[in-house]
Amino acid sequence: MSIPGWILDIFAAIMLLVAAVSAGQLAVARAWTRAGVRDADIAGSHLLMGIAMAGTLVASLSTLPNAAWEVIFAVMTAWFAWCLWRETRGHGIAAVASGHHAPHLVHSAAMLYMFAALAGPAPGGGSGMAGMAGSAGGTQSLHAPTLALVFTLLLIAYTVRDLDRKAGADGYFHVVGRRFTSAGPALATAAAGVHGVPAGPAGGGDSAVATMVQPQAAPAEVPPGDGAAAGQAEARPPMADWLLLSPAVVKGCRVAMGVTMAFMLVIMT
Amino acid sequence: MSSIAAGRDRAGRRDRLGTAGAASAGLDTRRMLQLGLAAIWLLDGVLQYQSFMFTKAFGQMIGATSSGNPGVVAHPINWNATLVEHHLVLLNAIFATIQILLGLGIAWRPTVRVALAASVVWSLGVWWFGEGLGGVLNGTADPVSGAPGAVIIYALLAVLLWPADRGVVSGRPVPFVAARAVGAQVARALWLVLWGTLAYFALTPANRAPQALHDMIAGMAPGEPGWLAALDKHSAALVAHQGLAASIVLAVALVIVAVGVYLPPPAAQATLILAIVLAAVIWVVGEALGTILTGGATDPNSGPLLALLALAYWPLATAAVPHAGRSPAGDRPEGITA
Repeated sequence: MSIPGWILDIFAAIMLLVAAVSAGQLAVARAWTRAGVRDADIAGSHLLMGIAMAGTLVASLSTLPNAAWEVIFAVMTAWFAWCLWRETRGHGIAAVASGHHAPHLVHSAAMLYMFAALAGPAPGGGSGMAGMAGSAGGTQSLHAPTLALVFTLLLIAYTVRDLDRKAGADGYFHVVGRRFTSAGPALATAAAGVHGVPAGPAGGGDSAVATMVQPQAAPAEVPPGDGAAAGQAEARPPMADWLLLSPAVVKGCRVAMGVTMAFMLVIMT
Repeated sequence: MSSIAAGRDRAGRRDRLGTAGAASAGLDTRRMLQLGLAAIWLLDGVLQYQSFMFTKAFGQMIGATSSGNPGVVAHPINWNATLVEHHLVLLNAIFATIQILLGLGIAWRPTVRVALAASVVWSLGVWWFGEGLGGVLNGTADPVSGAPGAVIIYALLAVLLWPADRGVVSGRPVPFVAARAVGAQVARALWLVLWGTLAYFALTPANRAPQALHDMIAGMAPGEPGWLAALDKHSAALVAHQGLAASIVLAVALVIVAVGVYLPPPAAQATLILAIVLAAVIWVVGEALGTILTGGATDPNSGPLLALLALAYWPLATAAVPHAGRSPAGDRPEGITA
């Protein structure tokens, strides 16, 4: 007996939810039409990973052939490796353990491994992995299972680290869609007394959409849609923005993705 | 001050405190060990989702642990095994989900206490109903293969890493992290009992038989990746017909580790390094990484937990002093530089 289909359905549904949230983040941030949108690459990677994993878990949700996913995740891995390399230039080797892009590099590389290391041909004629309900019973497994264990341990390590970190407090969970803009005098005035301190609605807590307010000389990060009203630091973002772009949601998506990916690697080993 | 400004000021203060707390937490050894425990629980839960656990073999595996145990212990195990076999999919899915939630709960600060408390209850239940008390009462316990049961070490770690400072007496420094929750004497006693018990198990007749250790290690090789199978085969060959000698050497090492926490810090550190080395050897050679790579492991076994436990007894280089207030995770630093 392999893993019951309804369990795979639940994990696939969670991944589709993550993909939908990520698509919503990109839409709310208007990442397609604006330049300088921060973390659009991360939201995009979550969108693709969510779709790929859902298709891997449930055959009927399969979208692209394995080869296409391999190319996509190879490019994604190279991109996040480049981002991490840039990060290490600024923050040293510590960025590998606690940097912004390190978890995404691990996620991308794990996905690449998962698609590249399948031992047997997909029964669906090469369209995705055609679901795991049949494969988990042993007809399909991964080459180099030790590597699967290494990825599993890394994913779990980053997941518990992500959960432990206070979203929005240390800049770890950036708000998707933030962009840099020059801080005007009004913003500088609003920032008086709280220079350099995130002054979001919840003070950087898990539900905050923190706005990093800086002295006038430095560029400031503002949430999407606030560019025209940069001086209105107290303005609350629309509900959709608040819901989709909060650090807590970003954190939740990443934790869900880490657990699901570890689950998939383990059951395919 | 306007209400908006006041609110912003409060938010700023709150965040400054939060940020400082996060920074401190980054250095807090106890929180790091809690995260290690959370990671192992998470791995445990994911492993429970493997396809093997959804077969009747899982129920039979539970039932087999009742063999040789006293009736009062065996009957509930058999009842549980029957129950699992009859409701296999549902119960195993629930077991796996509980274990994942325990891991996530320990890792998330607001729920760390609830999750640690629940993990103790869950561990004790699994130790009895799922592992037959780790073979402690039926003479099959072997420290090299995971005695006294990995799951009981989860419970021990949850107690020792509990986010409280009952062990801190009138500002006197605590010698190691495990002493913070229960006090140094109790923590040392628990360590002595655990490792002393392992030493005793190493010398039981079943484990000191000439081929006992060889057969146990060689039996781990099938199904493992080539490098691990080869390592097991070579290790088994090294102890072939050397069961008694190997058991005595192992028992002596375990006794040294057991008493090590009573020694001065430099000597204690040496014995803790020995404990970590033993845990690594047990995990890789004796437990074959908990047989995770064969698809039949319910948990990563005792090796990583023994190593994590040893780290909780590592002598602190700084003096630990109590502070006013605490976060849910008890994430204050151990102390200030002496």
